[in-house]
This record gives sequence, C-alpha cells and structure tokens, in this order.
Amino acid sequence: MSVTETATGTASATAVRGSSRPLLAAVDQRRPSTRFLRSELWLIFGRRRNWAGLALLASVPIIIAVAIKIYSSDGGGGGGLNFFSSITDNGLFVALAALMVELQLFLPIAVASISADSLAGEANLGTMRYLLSVPVLRSRLLAVKFAAIVIFTFTATLLVAVTGMLIGLVLFGGGSMVSLSGTALPFGTALVRVLLVCVYLTIELCALGAIGLFVSSLTEQPIGATIAVMIVMIMSSILGTIPALDWLAPYLFTSHWFDFGELLRDPIDFGGAARDGVLNALAYTAICYSAAWARFTGRDITG
Amino acid sequence: MSVFTRRPGLRWLVPAGITTMVFGLGAVTTMVTAAADPALPERNAAQLLVDVQNSMVNSLSGTVVERADLGLPSLPSIGGSGSTDLTSLLSGSHTLRVWIAGPDKARVALLGTLGETDIIVNGRDVWIWDSKANSATHQVLPADPGGKSIGSAIPSLVPTNPQEIAERALAAIGQTTVVSTAGTAKVAGRSAYELVLAPRDTESLVAQIRIAIDSEHHVPLRTQVYAKGSDSPGFEAAFTQVTFERPDDAQFRFNPPEGTTIEEPSAAASSPADRAGSAAGTGADRAATRPVVIGTGWTSVLVTRYSGAVDRAAGQQPADSTGPGSAEAGQIASILSSLPKVNGSWGSGHLLSGKLFSVLITEDGRLLAGAVSPERLTTVAADPAAALKETK
Repeated sequence: MSVTETATGTASATAVRGSSRPLLAAVDQRRPSTRFLRSELWLIFGRRRNWAGLALLASVPIIIAVAIKIYSSDGGGGGGLNFFSSITDNGLFVALAALMVELQLFLPIAVASISADSLAGEANLGTMRYLLSVPVLRSRLLAVKFAAIVIFTFTATLLVAVTGMLIGLVLFGGGSMVSLSGTALPFGTALVRVLLVCVYLTIELCALGAIGLFVSSLTEQPIGATIAVMIVMIMSSILGTIPALDWLAPYLFTSHWFDFGELLRDPIDFGGAARDGVLNALAYTAICYSAAWARFTGRDITG
Repeated sequence: MSVFTRRPGLRWLVPAGITTMVFGLGAVTTMVTAAADPALPERNAAQLLVDVQNSMVNSLSGTVVERADLGLPSLPSIGGSGSTDLTSLLSGSHTLRVWIAGPDKARVALLGTLGETDIIVNGRDVWIWDSKANSATHQVLPADPGGKSIGSAIPSLVPTNPQEIAERALAAIGQTTVVSTAGTAKVAGRSAYELVLAPRDTESLVAQIRIAIDSEHHVPLRTQVYAKGSDSPGFEAAFTQVTFERPDDAQFRFNPPEGTTIEEPSAAASSPADRAGSAAGTGADRAATRPVVIGTGWTSVLVTRYSGAVDRAAGQQPADSTGPGSAEAGQIASILSSLPKVNGSWGSGHLLSGKLFSVLITEDGRLLAGAVSPERLTTVAADPAAALKETK
C-alpha cells in the first residue's frame, strides 16, 4: 500500500519541481505523447522471439497454399471444409482458411503470450520499478500496455490474412469470391470482407488479450501467466462443446470466434451472431481490463 | 483518485460494477423482450383467424430462430447447432433468415457456422444452395399460374366472406381442439396477439400450440408447441427481427458460382421435403407402401411400411451390405441399434420417444408415428388394421 499511486505521484511532483516548465498543467493541455506507446511497441515488435512467432504465423498460409497447389489434383476435394476446397477457385480463400486454422491455437497463443508478458514480464525482469518511476499515472501505463496488445493482435491477424492473400493470388489468382450465400462478390468487396474478418477477429482476440493483461497483473511469472491464459481459453472451448451446457455457450468468449463467417454472407446481417460476438468480446474486455486496472494500480510493486 | 488512493481495495468495485452492469443489461434486455405485454384491444379467436386470412402482407424480411427441444435421445448424425443440414432442424437451435417479396419470390437461408443452406424461389426457378457441399440444385416449376408456387397458395385461400370461413374453420377444428386467446405478447419488438390451440384428447403428447399474431400486419410471428407437463416449448420458431418492407429483388437472383456442382433433377421428381426426408427411406419400393392412419385428430397414428434399405440395415450388419445406399443403410442401422428395444404381442421393434412424438419401428417392416405416448403406439401396432399386408 505504501508504493501505490503515491509513488508515481511523488515522482511526478519531483519531475515538476525539477523541470523548468509546469509539467502537470502541460499534461492536461498538450496532445498525449505517443512516445510511451512507441517504446511499448518497440518492446513487442523489436524482440527476436516475437519475430519468430510472427514468422510462424505467416508460414501457415504459405504451407496451406503450397500444399494445395502441389497435391490438389482435381480442383478441390469438395465437401467438408469449404474454404479449403474453394482455394483453387480464388486465392483469397487461402487467407480465410489460414485464419480459420490459426484461430484454433496459433493466434490465441500469440495473443496470450504477448498479453501475459506485458506486466509479468516487466516484473520478472525487474524493469517494472524503472517503469513505475517514470512520471506517468499507472492507469495510463496500463492503457498503453493494452493498446500495444490490441495493435499486436491486429498486426498478427492482418499478417496472416495478407500473407495468405498474396500467396493465394500468386498461386491461384483472384477474381470474384463466392460468399457463403452462393453469390459472387466482386474482388474489391471481397477484399473489404476479408479485412472485416480481421477486424472482427481482432476484437474477439482482444478479449483474450484483456484476460491475459489481468492474469499478468496477478503474477510475476510470464510463462505461468501464458499457461494460465491458455488454460482459461481451452477450458472455455471445452465448456462450449458439452451439449448439456448449451445454455452457457453464448456467454463463453471462445464460442463466437468462428462466427466470422457471418461477415462472408450476402447480405451481411450486422444484427445477428456477429453483433453478439462483438458485444460478448467487449463485455469480457471491459470486465478484465477493469480488473487488471484495480489490481495493477492498487497493489505494491515488488518487482 | 483520493478515495482510491486511501483505500486501494475499493478499486475492485469498478470491475465488480462493470460485471454487474453487463449481467444487468443482459437481464433487462431479456425481460423487456419477454415480459412486457403490450396493451391491445381485445380480439377473440374468430377475429384473429379473420385477421390472418385478410392479411395483406406479401413482403417481409427477417430473422427466425428455431429451437427444438424434443427430448430425443442423442442420435448420431442428427442435430447440432452449427449444422446447415436441413434434417438438423430436429434438434438444437437454428437461425434462419427469411425474405419474401410478392407471391413468387422467397428466400430462406439456414445459417450455420461457416456454412449456409439457401432455398431460393424466384418465379418458376427454385434453387437450393449448399455452401458446405458447394452444390446447387435447380428446379423449374411447371408453368401453372396460381398453382404451386409459394405464396400463391395463400391468396387462393382468401374466401369471399372471411368471417364466415373463420367461424366454420373454428367449428370444424372445435370438435378436437379448444381454440382460445391468451392475451398479448411481444415478439421481435412487435406487439402480437396469442392464439392457443389445445387438443381436447388428453391422450395426445401435445399440451398446446401457441401462435403469436402480429397486431398490425396479422402475420404469425411465433409458433410454440408445448409438450404435456412441460413449462418450456418443445418446439419454437419465432422472428427475432422482422420488417415488412419489400426486400431488394437482387436477394432472389441466384447465379450458381463457378466451380459449383449443379444438379438439375427432372421436375417434380424431388423436392426439398424429399431431400429432408430421404433419411427415412429411399428406393422405388416406397411406391408400394400404402400408409394407414389409425385414430383421429390429435392422437392419430400414421402406420407405413418402410423401405428395403432399412430392412436390410436392421437385419444385417451394415459393413456387409454393398451397392448404392449402403452408407445410408449403415447410418440408419447405427441409429436403430442405439434405440431401446420393445416387444409385445405384435412382435418387436425399436422405439424412438420424444416429448412431442413417438416413433416405433417394428422388425416386421412397419413404421408407426404420432404425437402420442409409446404405449399407444404399441397398442396400435397390435391393431389388425395396422398390420399393413404387403401390397406388392
């Protein structure tokens, strides 16, 4: 309790006294600086291990496209996974197939590890105390951390989609895309649809990111936090598959992920399952982010 | 900031508050949609029937959620909420989107996770699109003005004197059914009257059928079937969202995408109903079957002879059977063997019993079905009228 908000308060006070201009007054007026966010993004995107992770994410669409190019003899097997059988018709489906495959495990792992690392990683490395000595409110620090998670999630999703689209267009060509309703969407519209899918998946995965942020504020062990987040996710998926717990499914955060198919219908029904999915994700995000805030701004930092 | 600084524990009130708010909002939404009974002028059952018949609505679009809780044992290959198979409507919850424009344009889309099945009627063209199989079935209805197309059947029912027709209809079903009204309800944000049909025959498994009729446009917005001794509907189909504006004509234009398997069966050879029912029996010997209905009204039992495919499957292990339909036969055999066995003076068979209906499949090749208890089915099975002598 001794080193809570007061620590930052004192730090800022010192900074005010030390600097030549009235910093606290200036904070309210000037445009919020992006420097903190930029340094946070550098922490994520500058790490070699994260580069390796992103490379792995990008490799899946390439593997899918090349494998289908080489081994598909008669233009798609037909039946079963529609996206896969449609790949030979339109390269854009590589992006969707890759997103669908990676949504099962790879994308959640990426988001879980980044979000679980965001606070626990700093504590583990002992850099948290330096971070907290910066004259910045802890609330803002947390907001910047979460913003970085959101940006990473969108980047990762977009990376998979863009890699898939590029390799797909090169190997299979473009043209109009068949919607789930059986209508042909012009190429431009199809691109927008794939982008919408990326935005939807980002919102869904950010709920996982918020859970990760909260778990991360509880511990100083980033690995433990990552595993905990994955356990929460897998548990949620398991609960969603038990028929006796049908009534619970709409409230689980994992049960709406694959509703991104709603965005591939013609016309899109924005009031249906896609909206439910977004509302569900926003609810989880709000609850977990506020819990992370309560924990992070209210506790002693020992790291 | 000051309170939170002095008492950091109080910060936890924020996530707690947000959690309460989320659940509260959810509860309020369901309460508003479920409870609030709108105040509407009284209408009796006959008036409601007249309203429905006079309904001028021929265009609408909306979303229908269908829920079936038939109390069936969990069978392989039936049901599943994400499935787009038309037969899956038997269990679980499903979402359909519906567009109707005029008497000859209609489209129904059954939504599944990453899949969709569409039935599109545009003039004489009928398309069935299945996104999972990437296949389309095209049929051209016979040129028969005022004939078979969807919707045109409805105007032909419009009588000269609706009031009289409604009263006659009520009288006709009145012998078996109690028709009453049950106040008002709110469905898809619209106020509606509720019409209740309850069987007089206490043997029936159906306790009542409730139909909610839109107070302004007089179209049914919700149908619920309640099983005896159950507070929640065993079957329910309701609009969750509906508008009565004419949908765009582009909605009904279907051009099969490239790479699609297109089936063009000869006209009238197969219909969606056939496709859905094909699991129950295939083959030419269906023509030889002459179904019999035993009993009347709500407790009537349909007795029919089932096809050879089931025969073979029920008798032999499916792995040995070869030729067309063996996969289907195997599927049926696996379903049959998972059902409880019953026997009596009439022989023996397998029983499928749900909350709203029972089906008895006897080993001598008969299939009995009805909205009655299994006991009544076995009684009927012993009835000589239901023996169904081979007509081949």
